[in-house]
Amino acid sequence: MEKSQIHPIFSVSDFIAVVNQTFEYAYPTVEIEGEVASFKVNQGKFVFFDIKDQGGSIGCFMTVWQMRVPIEDGMKIIVSATPKLTQWGKFSLTVKSLRPSGEGALKKSFELLKSKLEIEGLFAPERKRQLPRIPQHIAIVSSTQAAGYADFIKILNDRWGGIKIDVAHVQVQGTDAPDQMIRAINYFNQQESLPEVIVIIRGGGSADDLSAFNDEPLVRVIASSRIPTLVGVGHETDESLADLVADVRAATPSNAAQILVPDRTEMIRAIHIQVRSLLPRMLQIINQQKQSINLSLSNVLEIIERFIDEQMHRISSFRNVLTQLNPNTVLARGYALIRGVSKVGAIIEIETNKVIMGAEVKNVIKK
Amino acid sequence: MSSKNKSIQEKTTELTKLVEWFDSSDFTLEAALDKFKQAEKLASEIEQDLSSLKNEIQIVKQKFDSEN
Repeated sequence: MEKSQIHPIFSVSDFIAVVNQTFEYAYPTVEIEGEVASFKVNQGKFVFFDIKDQGGSIGCFMTVWQMRVPIEDGMKIIVSATPKLTQWGKFSLTVKSLRPSGEGALKKSFELLKSKLEIEGLFAPERKRQLPRIPQHIAIVSSTQAAGYADFIKILNDRWGGIKIDVAHVQVQGTDAPDQMIRAINYFNQQESLPEVIVIIRGGGSADDLSAFNDEPLVRVIASSRIPTLVGVGHETDESLADLVADVRAATPSNAAQILVPDRTEMIRAIHIQVRSLLPRMLQIINQQKQSINLSLSNVLEIIERFIDEQMHRISSFRNVLTQLNPNTVLARGYALIRGVSKVGAIIEIETNKVIMGAEVKNVIKK
Repeated sequence: MSSKNKSIQEKTTELTKLVEWFDSSDFTLEAALDKFKQAEKLASEIEQDLSSLKNEIQIVKQKFDSEN
């Protein structure tokens, strides 16, 4: 018996549709790594490039809004795409998302976006807002499972208390991370009672892990947050664009907690030192007053002494005058004292220093 | 702002004023001891308040893994 085989006959467009269905079934999403070539943007909306390696090249298509990190020719990337046969029979990849692959590409893409945002003035110092001195209500965007989150909470609890902390649990690495963080930041910005600070934290990781913090839409959302932002991502040496755009940048999650609140132990110590310093201050004032009393006392004594000296001096000069006026002193100088009446024939008494004589008045002549 | 935290701030301001009094022209030795005792009392109150403060952590119920 002859075996009959049915070969369906497709119309061209049906066949294209069937092929696309098969692709969709076989590769709902495929990730392909390769190098960018012939990169161009049409009408500011449509992005075209080829992804290639030594053995082949495939055309890619996406919109600028889907392209969250800048790319350029020669850059190694991983695209997440669906394969598609176009109505003109051309095979291409419709790219949903892409990310730089390898350290070199990550660094290149980071530098490209950094200089773009820098030109826009997103990192300008004058844009930076100050954080409240001691916040009462803060929001955290992080993964509650991350080590960085635990470090932050531990240090925050050690240093200060009484803070209302709202935590948005999000992924902090991987392709979904930027969108989750964006939604969390937007969520806090729409609250009726706004937190005073949004703290975005994640511990250390590889450059690839931390690349979520270099996502352009995320960086822009941080920049436009109504609520001031504090970002502490990775280790001290790591630099992310989220760091650069934040109002305040912390080196690590622990450092973020240190920046956010004062240390109560330190504060308590300072207060006690302040109070204890009052005692020596009081003693110093008492000593000062004692000294000033002693000084006034010795001044008074000096005045009295001077007065006495002056009086003594006066008395001694009086004594001199009196001595000079004493008749005996005059007699001692050779003068004589005459007692009696100035009448011829009268007997008068003459007293000298040594003797008293009697004498008769011989004549009296008026001067 | 929680009432406890507010009162810590008030107490700290009060303490600062007390300390400043010692350097001001209002200073008198007669009042100094009394003021010193007040400062000491405030300092230990602030210490107690600060040490007993606890943070209140709440995980937001809303999920952020997809558009809601």
